[in-house]
Amino acid sequence: MYLPGYYEYSCRVKIVAGHDALEGIPALLRHVGARRPLLVTDKGVAGAGLMEIVREAMGDRLEIGAVADDVPPDSDLKVVNRLAALYRENGCDAMIAVGGGSVMDTAKGINIVVSERADDLMKFSGAGALKRPLKPLIAVPTTAGTGSEVTLVAVIKDHERHLKMAFVSFFLLPDAAVLDSRMTMSLPAPITAATGMDALTHAVEAYYCLSKNPLSDVTALSAIGLINGNLLKVVRNPSDREGRLAMANAATLAGMAFSNSMVGMVHTLGHATGSVCGVPHGVCMAILLPFGLEYNRHKRDAVMGELLFPIGGPGIYGQTAPEDRTNRVIAYVRQLNEDLHEATEGRHARFFGEVKDREGNPAVPRERLPDIARTALGDGSIFYNPEDLDYDDLLMVLEAAWEGMPLDTGRIRKG
Amino acid sequence: MFQSAHTFVFCSPAKVLSGNRALENLPVELAGMDACRPLILTTAGLAARGMERIMAAAFADSQLTVGFFAGVPPCPDRELVRALYGLYRDRGHDSLIALGGGPVLTVAKALNIAVSGEPEDLEAAAAGTLESKELRPLTAIPNLDLSGYEMTRYADLASLSLTAPTAIPRLLVLDHRTVPAEDRKTTAAGALLVLTQAVEALLHPGRNHLTDAYAYGATRFIMENLRMVIKNPSDRRRRLALANAAFFAQTAFDNLCGGKIFCLGMAISRRCAISPGLIMGLLIPHGLLMEMDREETPGKDLFLAVGGAEDYALTGEGIGIRKTVDRFVELLLELQSLIPDYPRSIRDIGLKKSDLEELPGAADEITGRGTLDLSEVRYLLDKAWETRF
Amino acid sequence: MESLTMESFREIPAGGKPVKRIYVALMLWFVGRAIQAAARVDQAVREEFAALPDEFTFSLGVLPRGPAMIVGKDEEGRVRYRGWRPAGQRIDLRMKIKNLEGALLMFTFQESTAVATARNRLIVDGEVPAACAIVRILDRVEVYLLPKIIAKLAVKRYPDWPWEEKIGNRIRIYAGAILGCR
Repeated sequence: MYLPGYYEYSCRVKIVAGHDALEGIPALLRHVGARRPLLVTDKGVAGAGLMEIVREAMGDRLEIGAVADDVPPDSDLKVVNRLAALYRENGCDAMIAVGGGSVMDTAKGINIVVSERADDLMKFSGAGALKRPLKPLIAVPTTAGTGSEVTLVAVIKDHERHLKMAFVSFFLLPDAAVLDSRMTMSLPAPITAATGMDALTHAVEAYYCLSKNPLSDVTALSAIGLINGNLLKVVRNPSDREGRLAMANAATLAGMAFSNSMVGMVHTLGHATGSVCGVPHGVCMAILLPFGLEYNRHKRDAVMGELLFPIGGPGIYGQTAPEDRTNRVIAYVRQLNEDLHEATEGRHARFFGEVKDREGNPAVPRERLPDIARTALGDGSIFYNPEDLDYDDLLMVLEAAWEGMPLDTGRIRKG
Repeated sequence: MFQSAHTFVFCSPAKVLSGNRALENLPVELAGMDACRPLILTTAGLAARGMERIMAAAFADSQLTVGFFAGVPPCPDRELVRALYGLYRDRGHDSLIALGGGPVLTVAKALNIAVSGEPEDLEAAAAGTLESKELRPLTAIPNLDLSGYEMTRYADLASLSLTAPTAIPRLLVLDHRTVPAEDRKTTAAGALLVLTQAVEALLHPGRNHLTDAYAYGATRFIMENLRMVIKNPSDRRRRLALANAAFFAQTAFDNLCGGKIFCLGMAISRRCAISPGLIMGLLIPHGLLMEMDREETPGKDLFLAVGGAEDYALTGEGIGIRKTVDRFVELLLELQSLIPDYPRSIRDIGLKKSDLEELPGAADEITGRGTLDLSEVRYLLDKAWETRF
Repeated sequence: MESLTMESFREIPAGGKPVKRIYVALMLWFVGRAIQAAARVDQAVREEFAALPDEFTFSLGVLPRGPAMIVGKDEEGRVRYRGWRPAGQRIDLRMKIKNLEGALLMFTFQESTAVATARNRLIVDGEVPAACAIVRILDRVEVYLLPKIIAKLAVKRYPDWPWEEKIGNRIRIYAGAILGCR
């Protein structure tokens, strides 16, 4: 097992996981001295009946201060400020966030505003702006997943001024993450596939990027093993409760890994593609993951080969010579994308040229690839990628990911 | 892949800094926890090994003044906590740094409970009912002379046993300067204690993905590094790997509980002057063989941790616990050859046959224990008594 | 008991590491002035700065109290080294090395910028895209300042520049750093 010359690791979120984990929420809140939570979610989650399930599980052991179910798909500054006012008006003393990444980020944003008794979130961007613990926050993810229930980042968009603000602080971590199989049972197949690949990417990149450390490694390996055993299963059979719980655990484990070990090129390009063309994050991750492995393999071959154990299983690992293992890992990832494409009846995209927007039009026009490459140069994850990335490198990978062709290893400039 | 049948809870509140120049990050980490006047607690022995100079260097250029108390004895009591309470308050300290092993962490946890609230809170902590409010920052800087409880919620003062999850140090700093080379016996004892905690976590019926991950990491680090550290104690990187393993194993232990090997090893150790880890080393093979008879044995995961991915992948089905036992016995024999006065049997450490009657009961009083089946403990004890390695 | 306690107690006053501070201060001074010079002779550095907002200023310094270096664009867009005192200056991006030893690891090239970032030795206070640009600029300047054998440790991928251009610019940047630019 690898021990770097120096590393830091922290994840003090309490993890509660099981088929009846929701029932534990009242006790969790009591434990931190809270009695009147604000429930934060979005229309999709509420519409799927998940809020009802949460409320029923909590029963009358908890008095709900207020419910906000109109968080937009993209976290928004005005919504944060408005919901903070709702929190205060209803005398709330904690929050329960039920949803995906955007709901989590919004709840974290609200937490900054209400805990610092401010009226405007903007005052708290910048390192070191938060100095004290915030109000209690319980995170209940409904995808598997972004891992935001265990990250110390909240990204909030100011749509008026076209700004994206990232808040980074230890104090943003939820007090607890509640993983319950009921929360993802009704997740549609394409979203299950995309969010599952998001989790896989987190774990894989955490395993080979520059901040790799023993704890991010063991959590990543665990996540990858769980995803390997369960992602396809739950896409094909959505009501597989054990599979859903396994994926929920995997996403949180992957979140713990990448929030400490950081991510690399797959996220660099994925964030940029999402920003320029509006492609959902998980879709970008699935498409770009094999390229992340290909681009960096000359610097990380041995480490990538180790991933064959959880991805292919011990038998395949034992039968494969060490120098061939990374090839097989890349092949497995590509095959997984193919299988997910088939299992979702073509809705899971395998390359950017295949991605469609809501109206059925191509979401990533080839002419926009230079814009994406330029945007990617400003993404912080670029620091943690093992190999250097300039505009030409980024564009080369984007072209290959657009067509769905493996990278020409002769064109990778090796440092 | 293993999945817990029931809802599980896992928490690891500590942030860990490990490696080159880790200590120098203390000022900025303390600032992040709103602290600027730490009181360092340590033992006279560690102070004599140069710890004061090392800590002074770590805080140089920080503009912070730190207190340094080097008088923690091997068995601290409440009196000491009382005296330090006064010192802490009088000198205006706002945080604690525990530099050392079991006794130092014990005092630090108790003191932190007292200064963060009231001294009376110690009673609540002894009853396990301490409020869950966050305490003042406590940093742990342990080494390889381990008690097994450093990063857990437990603290055993002479007359008071405390259990308080909030007492777990918030920050853990592992730096080769504060993880000095120890003699072979101490290193082996610490490592075997860690292995016991890790292995019993992997076998625990209440285990989950996270305790498995931590226990796996601990086991790998011990198996890959212990022999080399014993033969070449000046290897800093490997010593740090062992220190990391201790933290991982204690985290798994804290989230589950002590099993029969751990508790019996501790109980026996209190009857004779042998480190608990060395005794646990003699018990592990028997404890594992007992698991072989169970129906639901997580033998595969255990061998993955003990043998590593390569070995595991090349070995066929049905490996179970037996191969794991073989590996342990190999390790034990090697340690015994490297450490001449490592006892070959629990018959050789001053125990009388009459002690065997009382030991299971004594094991059932060890801090951090789970529900022990005393007949199993007795069986383990009898088997160990019959064996000489 | 109390007297025993006091016997074992000492206060360790805040010390100093003057030699290390001077070394890091010198390195920061030199690198700051080298960036100023590089912006004059290297097109890529010029372009990175040009893409940053008007009068953009950044600082690279050591916590808690320096040393530091400040570099920024003036009203005409020229890149200027602005000294070592952040007080009173409007700074858009602050890169703070957490402690003197971390700075030493960077400036003795035991840890490259990438490794230092990966090891959390730095706190970045400001816009991340700007920080990415500054790190790219620092990398280029390091390639100019350092012999290849050391620069290869400092950057992820040693660039393949034409030899004459590299040497020519290297001389100009050294001269500019030592003698100052107008």
